[in-house]
Amino acid sequence: MITGLERLMAAIKGEACDRVPVFCNLLDQGAKELGISLEEYYSNGEYVAEAQLKMREKYGHDNVWSLFYVGKEAELLGCKRILFAKDGPPNVEDFVIKSCDDIHKLEIPDDLSAHPAFEEGLKCLRILREEVGGKYPICAYATASMSLPALLMGMDKWMELLFMGPPAECSELLAKCHDFFVKEMFAYRKAGVDVLVYSNPFGSTDIVPRKYFMEHSLPWIEKDIKAVGTQGIVYYCGMAKFNPVIDIVLERTGIGVYYLSPFDDIRKGKETIAGRGLTCGVINDIELIDWSKEEIRHEVKRMMDAGMPGGKFLFGTGVMPYCIPEQNIRTMLEAAYEFGSYEMKMERLHD
Amino acid sequence: MNMAQLITTYNEAVYDTDRDKAIKVIRDAVNNRVSPEEIIFQVIIPAIEQTINHIREDEELSLAQHFMTAQIASDVIEEMLARFETAPKVMGRVVIGTSYGDLHALGKRIVTGCLRARLIEVTDLGVNVSPERFVDEAVAHNAEVIGISSMMIHTARGENGCLKVRQILKERGLDHIKLVVGGAPYRFNPELYKIVQADGWARDGITASRVIADLIAEVKK
Repeated sequence: MITGLERLMAAIKGEACDRVPVFCNLLDQGAKELGISLEEYYSNGEYVAEAQLKMREKYGHDNVWSLFYVGKEAELLGCKRILFAKDGPPNVEDFVIKSCDDIHKLEIPDDLSAHPAFEEGLKCLRILREEVGGKYPICAYATASMSLPALLMGMDKWMELLFMGPPAECSELLAKCHDFFVKEMFAYRKAGVDVLVYSNPFGSTDIVPRKYFMEHSLPWIEKDIKAVGTQGIVYYCGMAKFNPVIDIVLERTGIGVYYLSPFDDIRKGKETIAGRGLTCGVINDIELIDWSKEEIRHEVKRMMDAGMPGGKFLFGTGVMPYCIPEQNIRTMLEAAYEFGSYEMKMERLHD
Repeated sequence: MNMAQLITTYNEAVYDTDRDKAIKVIRDAVNNRVSPEEIIFQVIIPAIEQTINHIREDEELSLAQHFMTAQIASDVIEEMLARFETAPKVMGRVVIGTSYGDLHALGKRIVTGCLRARLIEVTDLGVNVSPERFVDEAVAHNAEVIGISSMMIHTARGENGCLKVRQILKERGLDHIKLVVGGAPYRFNPELYKIVQADGWARDGITASRVIADLIAEVKK
């Protein structure tokens, strides 16, 4: 039987395989799976690992996640309050940085692995590695230097600092966030993570103008990637479009995997990558909540038709909302396995 | 420099996210005897309208450019209003906030800046606002429109979001108050505003200011 890791590696290398690898990012659904609240669920790495394994078995997709919620990074940097919901992702409730002074005071822990907020994540990773290591890609999530400040001070305050200064504090914060990013990446690699999602909304021209991207975002992306290498790295802009910058990012960093926005044209993305890396087409999972069975199948087929020719393609989701009906998740995945089958495609061609 | 050139030069600086340059363009114009009233009504508001048309007809501007459009317009308006001999007529009243359980402030800040530039009085309720508070504050401020910003799907369509605000408005016989929504989930599903029973929505904060201005005009008819 072919494993998810084998499918992923075949897609990266452009080798023949049974079907397109399918990454289904189910996070909060784990609490539903175990019948507990989100707050209880995320308090224990064993719960997260157990649910990840159960959901992968149940739906048959190709990846598992060690990510709890994005605000975890803020906790590692001193955030004391997270707002839990009963039907959605936890949020940073108390920003670590409220003034320029807080930037000077911000301390990056030397050893993240020893940090209490990292402990449950490591517990989760250990279980995942023991159970499915080498068979299914274990994914982790790290926010890029340029985007991390939004988690520490709020997006509006970060934009204010970035575009209106003071520049010295802005540079100091970016340098500290870079330091954290590098330590976090190495900690994840040490813990056995296969796929490292490099999340950077500021790496998209949906968020910053192209000129600004070239002058500011790109140098920080280069600095981040130079420090950690490209092994296992996935370029992702938090569901923002980035087709227009793929070429320059690929050329300057050598990153080999691009997790597009649902609004990016898959064909155009593949055309730009031109066999130099893996293109990941991402479904609009907000619309997935309300789509009919026919609409879901039609959309999955459309994406596969756009992405499969020439191989080197992965089908993925965003961070799936808690309220997506289970039936819609199943319909999407069944359609992905059906329309993403290279064997079926060959049969259809012969017919 | 005529008004059309002034708008172009001002917007070029804004799109370049260059606040200092944009402010200098305005201050130079004032020094060259362009009145504060002309700055507001013939430069800033038309510049925002031009931006909305640019977003709709051409290609989208980045979020940073939206943010700077609102921020700079709001700063200019504040500076110009201080020079008015008598306070200008308020065009309408809006209460705005982020839905319950949602702590994201950027979207509402962009909308607020653009509304203030249109001389619409805005009461910013902050983040994590309960449905009851939206309605109470709208009544207290005699607002024509309630604006609800949501960054996450569960806060957009959940039981304490816009749907609850609509329910309270109905229960209290306040159907004349209009509801406008915005934020990331609405961009991913353009039909979502109907599901949450809003009167309108916009893909971005700048365009939202026009949607709200139009609804205010409708209420005042």
